Amino acid sequence: MSKNGVVLRAEGLKKRFPSGDRVLEVLQGVDLELRAGESLSIRGESGCGKTTLLHLIAGLEPRDEGRLFWRDQAVETWSRSRLAGERARFIGMIFQAFYLIPEIDARANVLLAARMLGRPKADDRERVEGLLKRVGLEERGHHLPARLSGGERQRVAIARALLNRPAVILADEPTGNLDETTGDAILDLLLELCGEEGASLVLVTHNPLHARRTDRRAVLAHGGLHFD
Amino acid sequence: MSWYLYLALRQLFPAGKRFPFITLVSVAGVMLGVAVLIIVLGVMNGFGEEIRRKVVDTQGHLRVESGQILYRYQEVIAELEQRPEVVAAVPYAAGMVMVQHANRPAFPLVQGIDPAAEQGVMPLDDFLIYGRPEDLDDDSVFLSVFLARSLGVIPGGEVEIYSPLLLERLRQDEILLPRSVRVAGLFETGWHQIDENTVITTLRLMQDLYGLGDGVHGIKVRLRDRDDPDTVVAALNRELEPPLRAISWLDANRDFLFILQLEKNVLFFLLLFIVLVSAFAITSSLLITVVRKTREIGLLGALGARPWQVGQCFCLQGLFIGICGTSLGFAFGFLALHFRNDIIQTFARLTQSEAALVRFYQFSVLPAETDPRDLFLIAAASLVISTLAGLIPAWRAARLDPTEALRSE
Ligand SMILES: Nc1ncnc2c1ncn2[C@@H]1O[C@H](COP(=O)(O)OP(=O)(O)OP(=O)(O)O)[C@@H](O)[C@H]1O
Ligand SMILES: [Mg+2]
Repeated sequence: MSKNGVVLRAEGLKKRFPSGDRVLEVLQGVDLELRAGESLSIRGESGCGKTTLLHLIAGLEPRDEGRLFWRDQAVETWSRSRLAGERARFIGMIFQAFYLIPEIDARANVLLAARMLGRPKADDRERVEGLLKRVGLEERGHHLPARLSGGERQRVAIARALLNRPAVILADEPTGNLDETTGDAILDLLLELCGEEGASLVLVTHNPLHARRTDRRAVLAHGGLHFD
Repeated sequence: MSWYLYLALRQLFPAGKRFPFITLVSVAGVMLGVAVLIIVLGVMNGFGEEIRRKVVDTQGHLRVESGQILYRYQEVIAELEQRPEVVAAVPYAAGMVMVQHANRPAFPLVQGIDPAAEQGVMPLDDFLIYGRPEDLDDDSVFLSVFLARSLGVIPGGEVEIYSPLLLERLRQDEILLPRSVRVAGLFETGWHQIDENTVITTLRLMQDLYGLGDGVHGIKVRLRDRDDPDTVVAALNRELEPPLRAISWLDANRDFLFILQLEKNVLFFLLLFIVLVSAFAITSSLLITVVRKTREIGLLGALGARPWQVGQCFCLQGLFIGICGTSLGFAFGFLALHFRNDIIQTFARLTQSEAALVRFYQFSVLPAETDPRDLFLIAAASLVISTLAGLIPAWRAARLDPTEALRSE
């Protein structure tokens, strides 16, 4: 961990997309600092660039300008391969559409995160069981994703995102595909688990009630982050 | 196990689900190609081997000749028989004659042999379907079955032999009468070329017919089965004093064997197309999978997968389909080869063509012999082709931008 507990820092992130004969300036200089264990919600109109920002932070999409630090380390100095390996350890991602691999059961889906870092050890398997239990799916580990409900799938995805003990969880509208009650339960679980694990959370959401539950709140508009 | 290997296996054989149909089709294609290759090449080899055996049985592994009439052949035979690799060496005289029976002429090849010694090279016992080897004397001949049939002569009947010597004498105003001989036996070697048109006589009779005196045309040699005729021929040619030289049966039948090999090679390449076509099935099914799984590929990127690992995951699927198809093809091919005769007999019985098979192809049992080199080549080709088939989808998958993949609907 770095000084004053900052795990993630972005300075002047910019991203442009070509859009026909014009250029779409989606992000025009986003500054962001995230402390260890802190949660931040981001709201914003559809198409304002929230997903783009998360992908930029995750190093999945190259920045046009700006600097990105993971635990004080400048991401731009890494090779693509190094970046991929660091991402597996540093960041856990959760999506609106869950994105489980349909051919393998819930347990294997969670364990897949550990496989990315090499042969899974006995520890990893134990932790998978622990996490499945924690998300309330200890009895459903052997089920294929198709046999799980939407809420259950998102629980599996949360367990997967947390498996490698990442410092930062990036959640892109994790309750967007769920009904209100289930969505609330999932958000509770996500906040609790991030707290228990000491992971920072960036939560993109359209739900103002959900946004209110995080330590800090921001709105993405006109290409910049505006904190409340 | 690396995650991409794990995922490749799981995508082909998902836990708890039935074997996916698309995998099944790809595997079946490779299997069929490999099985057909094994069966066809096996039977081709079988025929080749059969022919080789027939050639050796009738001509020996090699022959020693001088291009002229050989008089001191006993000496040469004694010399040859001292070599450990020589099983038997027998003299022969060969040529063409005209044979007539009841005004029906034929122009067969004659082999003059020493009936007592010949058994060492040519298993006359096995070939004779009427008569015994010791029935042959200087006033009798053995006819090949089809020759006897076309002449319309039966054992015990008489045929007249006109030799080229007759013409030579005629030129000198001498008239030599054709030699009248008895048919002492009929033989069949199973090799059409010989069964069609051959007469076997004693060496003495042939010497008379061709005016060879005490000489012969050459010596047929049979080697131990494990010896390579070409090396023995090379060794002999170093030691024999010219004009004596050794010729292996391989050399004597070079053109014929070349055609046989060519046929086999052509068949190999034609049948390989079955595997190639199934490779297209692999490619297209994997390409569909890549498109279908675009978002999951994006997810793998988010989980920390490197592009080459994602590619590997699909390339390995091609390899696994290849491995499954090839092993099943081997199993199926060997099974079919093992039961080939039952299969053919059932087929013949169903189509009532048993007699035709024997008549036209001269076999009722199909020979087959698998060559390890062929098997290796088949396995290697099919595995390489299936892996290559996975390469295009793998490349597509590796090139997918994770962010775009995650955004795709
Ligand atoms: N690869 C791309 N090429 C061109 N334009 C793009 C590309 N990716 C995203 N965009 C555009 O960038 C803008 C921001 O997209 P983004 O997905 O980040 O929005 P969002 O805030 O996540 O929206 P939503 O709330 O609907 O998920 C959109 O207008 C989108 O069309
Ligand atoms: Mg979005």
